[in-house]
Amino acid sequence: MDDDKLLGLVLLCVPLSLVSFGGGQTIVASLQHQTVDVQHLLTSRQFTDLYAISRASPGPSTLIVALIGWGISGFWGAVIATLAIFIPSSALICIFGSWWQQHRLSPWGRAVERGLTPIAVGLIVAGGLAVSQSAGLSLFEIATTLAAAAFLTLTRVGPYPVLGTVGALYFCLSAAGKI
Amino acid sequence: MLPLALRREEDFLEQRVDASNPPEEPHASLGSLLVSFLKLGASSFGGGMAAWTYREIVERRGWMTDENFLQTQTIAQILPGANPVNLAVYIGLKLRGLPGAIVATFAMVAPAFTVIILLSTVYRQLSAYPETHSVLRGLACVGIASTLTMGMKTARRLHGQTLPILIALSVFIMVGVLRWPLVPVVFASIPPSVLISYLLSRDKKHG
Repeated sequence: MDDDKLLGLVLLCVPLSLVSFGGGQTIVASLQHQTVDVQHLLTSRQFTDLYAISRASPGPSTLIVALIGWGISGFWGAVIATLAIFIPSSALICIFGSWWQQHRLSPWGRAVERGLTPIAVGLIVAGGLAVSQSAGLSLFEIATTLAAAAFLTLTRVGPYPVLGTVGALYFCLSAAGKI
Repeated sequence: MLPLALRREEDFLEQRVDASNPPEEPHASLGSLLVSFLKLGASSFGGGMAAWTYREIVERRGWMTDENFLQTQTIAQILPGANPVNLAVYIGLKLRGLPGAIVATFAMVAPAFTVIILLSTVYRQLSAYPETHSVLRGLACVGIASTLTMGMKTARRLHGQTLPILIALSVFIMVGVLRWPLVPVVFASIPPSVLISYLLSRDKKHG
């Protein structure tokens, strides 16, 4: 049973790895949909928690798959999921990296570089929507999100002070029974 | 050993002579690769990885020239995969071949992997308390906010051109709203999107 689930996760990660232009944030929409709605590896509540942990942790946001793998079968589940998300894209770099380095300045090379941008933009925003919907954000949480987005856009403050402030705020409100 | 400025010039000349065969990079042992990338992996709090990597690989170790690093960074951004991991793969590969790529990638990911597993263990211990879930919901809001911010920043690179904006919008609708499977949507969107950028840049040149 666990093996089947782990295999399901690996078969989900390998193709996603190959289209993760710009990293983990482009594939989060699909990860959420597949693990919660389709394969039922997680509840939406668990997914929201793991998403929060992965975004508050250092390193690539792609590591959310390690958390999902850990939930399925412990340490080795986490290792296997990590390998499944990193090996395909890394192999692509080893195979095409040098070739690409030589051709990227040609008109078509530049067109590929620029042509991938709108796709990445669409995927990233779709990821934001997928997680918001899955979490079922309250009005207060939507306001938090917008305030944090405004803060991150308008100031040069890094993500950690913002995470710390919001985390402390939510802890106090929760302890006071307000949320 | 040549002074840095001279060495760079020499690399540059060699590159011009034979662009298909980049010059041998100096003296990076697997052990020192491991140490460098473990350090980078451990300092990957809050992004800015490319800058840290530049400092370590180009300025401190002198393993790569400015120009080589800049190209490496572009490759890491464009090909799929997480940027810092891609940087590690490609730098490791250029310096020490496949073993270098494996060592650098392992070292880059291992610290973050360890931290995330520790955090999830803490989470499991604390998950019975309602405050834990509330705090995580707050952190998820910040996560979503930084995702949207990154989307907006990347959208600036579309330079307000209508067709690329329409492609971004249609990808968003197909994946985000209609929940169509992401992989086929991406593969189907790449050819028209690349063709459009090609035609747009050609128009600009001729018109």
